Amino acid sequence: MSSQHTSVLVVGGGIAGVTAAIESAEMGREVFLVEKSPTLGGRVSAMNQYFPKLCPPLCGLEINYRRIKDNPKVRVFTSTSVEKIEGNKGDYSVTVKITPRYIKDSITDPVHPFEQLEATLPDEYNYGLSKKKPAQIPHEMAFPFKPVVDPVALEDESTKAQLEKIDEVDLSQQVEEMTIKVGSIIWATGWKPYDASRIGYLKYDEYQDVITNVEFERLAAVNGPTEGKLLRPSDGREAKRIAFVQCAGSRDEAHLPYCSAVCCMASLKQSTYVREAFEDGEAWIFYIDIRANRYESFYRKIQDDEKVHFIKGKAGGIERDPESGDLFVISEDMENSDMVRIPVDLVVLATGMVPSTADDKVPMDGLTYDDYGFLVANPDKAVYPVGCTKRPVDVSASVQDATGACIKVQSN
Amino acid sequence: MSEEPKVPIPELGGAVVETGGETLYQCMQCGLCTASCPWRLVEGDISRDFNTRKVQHMAMLGVEGYETEDILFACTTCGVCVERCPRECNPIDNMRVLRAMIGESGSVPQAYRPVIGSLNSNGNPWQGEAKDRTAWTKDMDVPSFGEDTEYLLFVCCTSCYDSRSKKIARAVASLLNKAGVSWGIIGEEEQCCGEAVRKVGSEETFMTLAEHNIKIFGEKGVKKIITTSPHCLYSFRNEYPELGGEFEVLHYTQLMDKLIEEGKLKPTKDFAKKVIFHDPCYLGRHNEVYEAPRNVIDSLPKAERVEMDRFGPDSICCGGGGGRIWMETPPGARFGDLRVSDAVAKKADVLATACPYCTIMIDASNMAMGKEEMEVLDIAEMLDQVT
Repeated sequence: MSSQHTSVLVVGGGIAGVTAAIESAEMGREVFLVEKSPTLGGRVSAMNQYFPKLCPPLCGLEINYRRIKDNPKVRVFTSTSVEKIEGNKGDYSVTVKITPRYIKDSITDPVHPFEQLEATLPDEYNYGLSKKKPAQIPHEMAFPFKPVVDPVALEDESTKAQLEKIDEVDLSQQVEEMTIKVGSIIWATGWKPYDASRIGYLKYDEYQDVITNVEFERLAAVNGPTEGKLLRPSDGREAKRIAFVQCAGSRDEAHLPYCSAVCCMASLKQSTYVREAFEDGEAWIFYIDIRANRYESFYRKIQDDEKVHFIKGKAGGIERDPESGDLFVISEDMENSDMVRIPVDLVVLATGMVPSTADDKVPMDGLTYDDYGFLVANPDKAVYPVGCTKRPVDVSASVQDATGACIKVQSN
Repeated sequence: MSEEPKVPIPELGGAVVETGGETLYQCMQCGLCTASCPWRLVEGDISRDFNTRKVQHMAMLGVEGYETEDILFACTTCGVCVERCPRECNPIDNMRVLRAMIGESGSVPQAYRPVIGSLNSNGNPWQGEAKDRTAWTKDMDVPSFGEDTEYLLFVCCTSCYDSRSKKIARAVASLLNKAGVSWGIIGEEEQCCGEAVRKVGSEETFMTLAEHNIKIFGEKGVKKIITTSPHCLYSFRNEYPELGGEFEVLHYTQLMDKLIEEGKLKPTKDFAKKVIFHDPCYLGRHNEVYEAPRNVIDSLPKAERVEMDRFGPDSICCGGGGGRIWMETPPGARFGDLRVSDAVAKKADVLATACPYCTIMIDASNMAMGKEEMEVLDIAEMLDQVT
């Protein structure tokens, strides 16, 4: 009979994966936490504020990072991808590929050696709204808090030459493969925003000032591309009038037939950003129906703000005045059966959630996914999807779900 | 406006579903159809009163108030709402069924009475006599469809009887001759395809026309049909099969595209003009033919092709579909004006299209707006000029 391992593989270092890893470790399991990018934190680390408390995600993440640092049972592998999983429940061999950071372990100063580098690469932390250096600490909430060379930078000869001159850089480091033995698997690779350019009539590709809700989150963040000032991308003008277009892709048979669950609350939350930023700030929310789920009181609080306008109608068009750059959102206002054409500075599309597993499947046989690519739990194989790998959820539901999965693992 | 209490007719929604409006109750009342409707792009009473979402809602609830000409008969069946509906509803079907119910009760809009009358007595909506159906062929070498003929050329009634539109039929025929295609017409014996009259709610007239054509086509041994109009294309492709009429149907732009590619048609003379293409709703959204007409334009030597602000699946209706070609639309509310303005803004020399309705509607706008320095042409006319 094959050996039975109690150790746990957690894939994905976002809020769900981090939670699952530390909770499992605190219940006594050996945990391997594998994250594809060079830092833990996932999409949560790119948030400005959580709803409904409107606090930054920093403290919650820091507490979790601290728990991970203090717990020898969690081993964290960043810049690491899972290539292959073989075996069965209790006895899995997992092949992982580790991309080097191309930074010497002896480094003492993680910042100054890279200061002279020019920011030339799109910064994915800011959803491409700013540029990053070819070598730097990914962002101020990164864990580990270490610089990394973006492998993309090595494709350009002159950048590569610049990097080679830096003492702390070591481009001779090689990609490594290793095998991990585990008994159970928690899959927490999260989600990505729906590609808004596929909804032609919302003009995401055409107008710079039509952005997605994750991009707006970065605009509002102090550590974002505008240092938290709500400036519209086209001309840097203050975005005092902002339209939020709900269900941008979600609840649409041609796009994402399911409700993405968080976008209503996200837009309600984001409407407070513009109200906080400017005394005369104003928001319009175009919705089919508001699904505030467990946060009805938050919704009511926003409804009481007379500068936040709720327009019942799925927006059907965005127009732009070429002179002022103003955008106009065209929609029915169903409560009055009127048509509206609201002039705004910025349009924020509440784009839906696509599970990462829609494209990147778990590299093992015998698992099932639903019609939209969400992974279905398989207790017989001890493979458990958590958070947005299972269905669209907000941060707190994701944390609860991840904790619950640890108890399921504990029974194996 | 009087606000008498409305008494719902609970059977209405069910009756709509039973008679062809299967998607009625899929609607989630999001309003995207209303917001996407071309009526939103113009001014006036219809724009104010016609609300696609609300019509669906009234039908679902069985509440009256949608039956007036400016509401129920406003829809041009352009299909933008069908294209975008997040619940895959088909408001056009629902609207057609509601119109048919009004029709059965005898209150067809005044504008449609002569049309339906002419279809019943002459087999065309334009009050032309059946014997004049082939008048467009005057002094041309136009073969009759026979046993060995490959393609039936089905000329839209509009291009059989309307003097401007006859030129389109003549251009298509001339091109078929130049390419050496085996083709022919049936002529007098054939009747209107019935697409538009079905959309205005005269189901019975449509059935009579369709059954007649299917019978005639069968007797003549028709297998392949070329249409001049995307509306006939739609009807033959999507409506005739369930009545037993199975044919291979092509819009002429599709055949021309193929003939050019095969070298059987050679556009040789220069067409040194800036051309903007207006996608007809029934060629584009309803039949998903977007490339062929563009390929044909691109084959015209020295022609420069540009796109409208809204093109392809996003194109705006000319205003002539769904029976609106027979309705009076007040100035300021004509969709054709939007197409002309867009083309003029792009400094086009030619606004090209590939549908007899579009040609009539857009040409009328062009003249009314005094923009005659820009020509409105069917692609067949352009291709024939230089081939």
